[in-house]
Amino acid sequence: MSDMDMPNTGLAPVEPVDDINTPGFWEKNESLFLGFGFIALVIIIWQLVPSVFTLSKGMKLFFATPTMIVGAFGDLIASGKLWPALQFSASAFGLGLGLSIIVALPLGVVMGRSQVLSDMFDPFITAINATPRLVFLPLILIWFGIGMWSVVVVVFIGALFPLLINTYEGVKNADKLLINVVKSYGANEWEINKLVVIPNSLPFIIAGLRLAIGRAVLGVVVAEFFGGSSNGVGVIMVRASGSFQVDVVFAGLILFMAMSLILTGIVRSIEARFSRWRPQQTKSF
Amino acid sequence: MEEEVGKLTFWQTWRRLIIGGIAVILFFLVWEALLTWFIPLNKFVISKPSLIFLGIARDMESGILWRDLLVSGRPLLFGFGAAVLIGIPVGVVMGWRERVGYSLDPLLTALYASPLVAVAPLVIIFFGVGVAGKAILIFVLCVFPFVFNSLAGVRSVDPLLINTVRSFGGKEMDLYRIVIVPTVLPFVIAGARYAIGRGLIGVLVGEFFAASEGVGYRIAWYGDMYVLDRMFGYILVMMVVAILFTEGIRWAERTAFPWRVGM
Repeated sequence: MSDMDMPNTGLAPVEPVDDINTPGFWEKNESLFLGFGFIALVIIIWQLVPSVFTLSKGMKLFFATPTMIVGAFGDLIASGKLWPALQFSASAFGLGLGLSIIVALPLGVVMGRSQVLSDMFDPFITAINATPRLVFLPLILIWFGIGMWSVVVVVFIGALFPLLINTYEGVKNADKLLINVVKSYGANEWEINKLVVIPNSLPFIIAGLRLAIGRAVLGVVVAEFFGGSSNGVGVIMVRASGSFQVDVVFAGLILFMAMSLILTGIVRSIEARFSRWRPQQTKSF
Repeated sequence: MEEEVGKLTFWQTWRRLIIGGIAVILFFLVWEALLTWFIPLNKFVISKPSLIFLGIARDMESGILWRDLLVSGRPLLFGFGAAVLIGIPVGVVMGWRERVGYSLDPLLTALYASPLVAVAPLVIIFFGVGVAGKAILIFVLCVFPFVFNSLAGVRSVDPLLINTVRSFGGKEMDLYRIVIVPTVLPFVIAGARYAIGRGLIGVLVGEFFAASEGVGYRIAWYGDMYVLDRMFGYILVMMVVAILFTEGIRWAERTAFPWRVGM
């Protein structure tokens, strides 16, 4: 393309020939077309299965087409069953995630700043992080009973570790030189954290938050599935599966998927915004 | 002087393990001591380490523990194996053929990011409560780390190496054998580490939902019966299994691809 910026030689301008390599509309958006086209194709085929193949009576009972799922979703909204359940699930999610942020951030900073503490906590964090937290669910049910608090605790445990580990990594990663500079100007531990450590680890914390949201939604799902509460979207799904209402189960599944995707998408855009200014500035010091 | 240097490195290499080990032992001792001398033990709320380890020993002796581990292990093996066999080729083709990648990426990304445990009721409806249903649930959870890690692996293959193989007359098969597989393998093993964690979630979900044997079933059952020392025992066993799997894979990564530590 560089020959298009040639200096003016006084000759008649040459009409630029369409370069073969210039991407056209199709090429530029190919990934979008193919990606969403494929999703659309899957949905269409799914919709057409019952009219193309004759399903056996048993299969027909369990088969839900996309239009049936949308219908079931509409029914859930119209019957007023969805809002209280959604409110319950959302508040358990919010409380659990909030608690995990309140606990994880200070603990992560303290662990990142103190070698002894991090060595002491390390085996516990490795162990619990490797174990599916689901294993504690029956115990949590015994301790907190059936209701919102069990769900909150499951969400809390799920969201805690990605946040804690990322905060810790972020604090560890803080520039030693900057810390020493601030120290030599007489800053105490609190000021070091405020001026250097926390701003430095913010992108890590936000990445941790993104993971934590996924885990928290997962926590809501499993806690509500296995008797953690008598209310919530997960409970609607379990009851529907008990009476073989596959369309309702799918509607709940898609609701959870949408929640998870939208929330992580929001955090991802915040993440992109925060890391825009970051890398060069810290390194060029 | 030299001795001191040696001592220093000994402390440096083992300090994490020593401090961590002391912390773990202290944790169990304090737990035991608190419930023995300070707080009256309410067996319906909490148990203490001595009873828990006694319970594990009893379950080992009677053989229930081993049978449960076997019962839980079978669907894990099938589901995880299927995830390896299907996930890796799909990921490799997605990375290798650009248009396939474009087509599948949004759908699979959306599925990977969503709480897939929510499909459990559907899987149970369609495939029943036996080994098949659990293996399929585990497969659904395990397959995505393999797909996306082998995709990332293929994308990171050096084009120069591919051109070199081609210039020497290598065929498509040679490309896979000489360049692609050695580049992708470390990614795949890192994916296996995520996948095994998700697979264990699948085991537990499947067994909490519907089972009559297995580690997850036993935890829920002991919980329902309020036999807390046995339940804690099984939880500990599950933790040990999870740690063995993830740390084992981490160890394999470190020894097989030492240049990739921390990926």
